[in-house]
Amino acid sequence: MGLTGGLVPPVIAATGFGGERAMDELAVIASVLYQFGTNAAFLLLCALGLIVILGMMNIINLAHGELMMLGAYTATIAYQRGMPFWLSVVCAFVAVGIFGAILERLVVRRFYGRELGALVVTWGISLILAQGTLVLLGPFMPAIPIPGGNFAVGQYSFSGYWIGMIVVCAALIAALWWLYNRTEIGLHARATMQNATMARALGVNTDRIYMLTFSLGAGLAGMSGALLAPTTSIQPFMGQQFVAPAFITVVVGGAANVIAGALSSSLLLSLVKTPVGFLVGAFWGTVVLLLAALIIIRLIPDGISAAIQRWLERGARVR
Amino acid sequence: MRILELIGGNEDIGRGPLFWLPFALVVAAFLAAPAWLTEFEAYNISFYLLNIPMALGLCLLWGYCGVLSFGQVAYFGIAGYTYGIVAGNLVGLSWGPLAGSLAGLAAAAAVAAVFGYFVFYARVQMWIVPILTLVLTLLLETFLGQTAGYQWRVGSVQLGGYNGMTGIPSFQLGSHVFFGFSFFYYVLVLVLACYLGCRMLVNASWGKVLLAIREDALRTEILGYDIRFRQWATFVLAAVLAGVSGLLYVQWGNYITPTQVGLLQAALPVIWVAVGGRDKLLAVIFGTYALNWLNYSLSSQGNQYALVIIGGLLVAVMLFFPRGIVVSIAEFLSPRRRRSA
Repeated sequence: MGLTGGLVPPVIAATGFGGERAMDELAVIASVLYQFGTNAAFLLLCALGLIVILGMMNIINLAHGELMMLGAYTATIAYQRGMPFWLSVVCAFVAVGIFGAILERLVVRRFYGRELGALVVTWGISLILAQGTLVLLGPFMPAIPIPGGNFAVGQYSFSGYWIGMIVVCAALIAALWWLYNRTEIGLHARATMQNATMARALGVNTDRIYMLTFSLGAGLAGMSGALLAPTTSIQPFMGQQFVAPAFITVVVGGAANVIAGALSSSLLLSLVKTPVGFLVGAFWGTVVLLLAALIIIRLIPDGISAAIQRWLERGARVR
Repeated sequence: MRILELIGGNEDIGRGPLFWLPFALVVAAFLAAPAWLTEFEAYNISFYLLNIPMALGLCLLWGYCGVLSFGQVAYFGIAGYTYGIVAGNLVGLSWGPLAGSLAGLAAAAAVAAVFGYFVFYARVQMWIVPILTLVLTLLLETFLGQTAGYQWRVGSVQLGGYNGMTGIPSFQLGSHVFFGFSFFYYVLVLVLACYLGCRMLVNASWGKVLLAIREDALRTEILGYDIRFRQWATFVLAAVLAGVSGLLYVQWGNYITPTQVGLLQAALPVIWVAVGGRDKLLAVIFGTYALNWLNYSLSSQGNQYALVIIGGLLVAVMLFFPRGIVVSIAEFLSPRRRRSA
């Protein structure tokens, strides 16, 4: 991750001429911010592909974890063949994106408008993918070493790779925003999302939009899997560990606005998870995520993004 | 008389003597089966049967009420573990297993009641329920998995982490301990009671309201029914039925591990119900029995394709028989269809 190089030195330089105590305080602040940022980046990466598909097509893709697993496998195989890491990640994006397009053509397209049916059928697909990978490729894959190295601020040590992930997340969000708001495909996609029948009447090929969206969501899942691959052990059932964070983020974010939902939900949940995970442990951090999700949906049943959307529309009407 | 009327009602497959006669014959065959089965075979059949209450609960919830849950195994596990803890601490007392069973069902119902309150009283969109129940299941598995070690014990019972809880007492009434053939009969009676009870429920006015909610929630609400309460109550009932299966499971094998509430196990009830036919109780019973038999036959031969085959079956059924295999066959055979054709 070449991007991280530019980020690191100013922090250390700033601590250089403070006293010992200021240095410690700065280190604590940096550590808390780092924890918060990495948690948010993790949640966002887990959920992005899922929320793109949900927001556009009202389809919950329960094979999401397995698509991430496929991305991790693709990246690992590419990396073993000697590709640089960033190119392996791109490979994972493209390969899983193509796989997603095939999946949409063969299976998913028959379930538009039948949310629960889509949930069940994608779960069947996830079983086939996970167990099929186990049968074909065996239970273990060699790990990818974490690129980027470590650096220290005060007594805390930080991973350059995770800092890079935060930057990548920001870039992904910006790219998605650009795609949805500044390109013709994005315009057609938003039209389809608002009113598919009307969009079709105006000449938008909604069928193609659905395929592209599913493919994009799958590709993003594959890319997230590849990006998270160095941080975890790579095995056929690795997708399971992403299921809980991904779905909680999506439930809290809601489907009304893809970008606002994913971003606000992962930031808010990270705000809840970071202190608990820091003080009590990672498992209780996830428990608190579920509790927070239950309370948030009790207050805003359709998710934060719907609340943001309502607020934006009210603002527009006043103007 | 009223009871017979409810059992014979038309919200499930089969009416009239043409159905009930073969039904009675099948039940009689099961009752007589120990005459020619070995104890080992009866033990296996007990296992296929004991999953049926959980599937019936999911059938009520998904097929009749339109609410899908992926977390039925969570209530299965909660009831099983609670039974293990309570009965395990009351070893030697003849009423211990009975108290454990009641505690297990109460625990499953309590968790479902709290969880269901947040979900149904928020009127969330229907795709959120399966997702959150799935997350609940995953968290329960993770929690139980890290309970290894001596500090994780309740009274004299250790939770046991991924090795699970072992030495759970069998069910007992008075001085009679149920195992072998007597356990087989015990399961059979419970499963039959659950089926007939569910059948009465769906034919009663309560069941008609559930169907109305599935067809059009808004309309039902405008007609004056509190759909939040109905959905919540059905959710709790389904959890109790899953709890019955959980109790039977720990009384059958005398152990339980966190794998029982894992993601792969969570998929199974949904598959049984979808393959059988989610909107008919009897179809779900057939589906559950057949798939448990299939799964056992495949995996006991060490066939690693078992999950691929079961997953493939689910996808194929959802694509080509969206109403379920048994329901499709029943429709094909039903005299009403021939008359209208």
